[in-house]
Amino acid sequence: MAIPLPFGNYLARNTAIHRIDARVKLLLVVMYVYALFACSTWAGLLAALCILGVLFIVACIPVRMALRGLKPIFFILVFTFLANALTFSASETALVAGHMAVGAVPLDNATAEAMQTAYAEERYQLLSLPFVGQVFFLDLPQSVPLIGSFGIKPLGIIKGLYFVLRISLLVLTTSLLTYTTSIVSLTDAISKLLAPLRAFKVPVEDIAMVFTIALRFIPLTASEAEKLMVAQSARGATFNQGGLVKRAKAWIPVMIPLFVNLFRRADHLAQAMESRCYVGRGRTQLAHSRIKGTDICWAVIGSAVLIAIGIFL
Amino acid sequence: MEPTLLEFKNIDFSYPHHGKNEPSVEFATSGNRLAAQKTLCNVGFNIERGERVVLLGANGSGKSTLAKLANGLLLPTDGQVVVDGISSWQHDYLLELRKNVGLVTQDPDNQIVSTTVFDEVAFGPQNLGWKPKRIYETVSQSLEHVGLSEDVYAGRDPNSLSGGEKQRVVIAALLAMQPNYLVLDEPTSMLDPAARMQVLKAIASAAKRGQGILHITHRLEEAVKADRVLILYRGRLCYNGKPEDILGNKEALIRFGLRAQLHVRRASEVAEPIKHSSLTLSDVSFSYPNSPSKLPVFEDMNLELKAGECHLLVGASGSGKSTLLTLAAGLAKPSKGTVLLDDNTPLPGEVGLVFQHPESQLFAQTIKEDILFGPRNLGMQVEEAGDALVNRVLTLVGLDPDKFRHRSPFSLSGGEARRVAIATVLALGTDFFLLDEPTAGLDARGRVFIFELLQSLLAKGKGIMVATHDPEFFLPLATGRREL
Repeated sequence: MAIPLPFGNYLARNTAIHRIDARVKLLLVVMYVYALFACSTWAGLLAALCILGVLFIVACIPVRMALRGLKPIFFILVFTFLANALTFSASETALVAGHMAVGAVPLDNATAEAMQTAYAEERYQLLSLPFVGQVFFLDLPQSVPLIGSFGIKPLGIIKGLYFVLRISLLVLTTSLLTYTTSIVSLTDAISKLLAPLRAFKVPVEDIAMVFTIALRFIPLTASEAEKLMVAQSARGATFNQGGLVKRAKAWIPVMIPLFVNLFRRADHLAQAMESRCYVGRGRTQLAHSRIKGTDICWAVIGSAVLIAIGIFL
Repeated sequence: MEPTLLEFKNIDFSYPHHGKNEPSVEFATSGNRLAAQKTLCNVGFNIERGERVVLLGANGSGKSTLAKLANGLLLPTDGQVVVDGISSWQHDYLLELRKNVGLVTQDPDNQIVSTTVFDEVAFGPQNLGWKPKRIYETVSQSLEHVGLSEDVYAGRDPNSLSGGEKQRVVIAALLAMQPNYLVLDEPTSMLDPAARMQVLKAIASAAKRGQGILHITHRLEEAVKADRVLILYRGRLCYNGKPEDILGNKEALIRFGLRAQLHVRRASEVAEPIKHSSLTLSDVSFSYPNSPSKLPVFEDMNLELKAGECHLLVGASGSGKSTLLTLAAGLAKPSKGTVLLDDNTPLPGEVGLVFQHPESQLFAQTIKEDILFGPRNLGMQVEEAGDALVNRVLTLVGLDPDKFRHRSPFSLSGGEARRVAIATVLALGTDFFLLDEPTAGLDARGRVFIFELLQSLLAKGKGIMVATHDPEFFLPLATGRREL
């Protein structure tokens, strides 16, 4: 009857990736996301994929666990793919001309002219296909009708795969972050990165304290809920029978005491904090983790590579 | 020279809303209504640095209120708390009081704020704005004082610690603020005997280092080694002197609710008809499916409980007592082996199970509804027989049905809530009752109530299994004992 927690997938290891300062890791995740969206070619995406693959290997995270992050977005991926690959207005008229190029490589005049002509003749529809190479002409139909006007777009399949890979990488990079960074150092990092906002009267310390307390009490509350479920089943309560209303009602004997206990706990905790002179102001800030030389290397080299991917690929 | 004393000067205290919810029937007869509503009345005593004072009092005597007054969480209605000569009209009095008097309460989970042991111990000093260097020093020193090695514990998540370790972290967190006095409000009441010894050791060593200790408890054995004993009874200080002069005085202790007479009776009750005659565990093994180690909690456990028998289940926290009871009640499936009630696997509700601190599962609007929750789930026709059933179980747990039936379960005192919670399980009318630490946190009278309840259930022919840290107490009832 264990209740799954929304986080806590930290894998405690001692690898180079685990040792990077959480602030640096957060920065690199942001840069990675930038690279994913700024690059417009398969080359860029494949480079990003390789980088992430290597990082997962260095961090000693098994493939099965790495891919687990994709499970919740499986349907989004399928939908993205189908939305690109299928069309409701299929016709066989236009064929496809592909333009294979690396990023912004300029076309020579002859090729450009040939494409213009083909396009003008309406034999081909001009599409820029982000790939390495040069101009090519494919005798691919733009779409293949299956039933009536409903059909598939061969190029949409490629485009769909492109988007699917991009979303997957986006998710995988955040799982790499949570697999290699404990939630404690993560909140610590977030509150440190937010620190400049103090100048704008944002109560950064209070926010950090709220996060910390939430992190401490979520597992506790989950185990309490579990205990209450067992205790009420001992009195014959069932939680998975009947219709929606009945099921919802069955949770009342768990939720009410859970909340009552939670409020009571909050009260006690507030007193414990007060009695230890907590006023929210004037606290000593302890630098738990100093940024080390290696962290700076990671930040600089990582950002440079990712920016390069974003600009040139 | 400044006096080095924590002084409680003629303290009066009454809660502003007191008496609204619970008309104090038992006090009304005493004549002086005004005095009766006071939680504390003219309480005065001193504690010196290095002195270890134990304050004894039954549940509801005003102990916890006193603890909160000592630390400035509450302010007295009359009188005042003076710490090292700093009295309430001085500037920054509250801050000085809190800096100088550390407060530890019962449940460590309600006191730990941070997500690592280091952060927790550093929390107080950080609040005081100390220099980082001083904080690092005081953290490692205080962890050492409570017997937790900094290398092992500093980075640990408090959620992964045992109860005794957590409570020692709480004490270390207060020691780190270097207060001159420590007030501990029943710091051991949620711990098993081994953990209790460790916490008591940490307290004793704090006194040796020159801190004044006020240790509040209802356990007489914790008072034996004290320098001085105070007794609080119904809000008044009734004794202030050496432990040896009072701990042998049985009548006085009974009068103050610190001891209670056990009445071991022969079976005088009429045995009720029993539907099931035995609860058997054969070759039962259990391991948590999600536990990474897959280590079994226990293996090849054999146990047979017959109607009219009482088995004690003894072992440290985490030894699997609660798990065993959950299996025996049919609420979890063993990894191996069988649990049989006569010849069938027990269904939920066929074996009565009273969890630790059962009062935390009360939820209904009235006590009556809470009691009928179980029987309704089991499909009993409670509409006609309901009232009779409620009356019977409330009487069984020693509460007046007419007074309690329609009250909210959230308006009860701790002891009353425990009784009602047990009544909700008794209402299932099962032949076997399993209880997990039923006396945890109860004072002498509460414990005697549990003893007598079990005694009368046994006399009715019910079978009982009790998981407990305190097997000696139940020994007169026990027919079997199992160490885990």
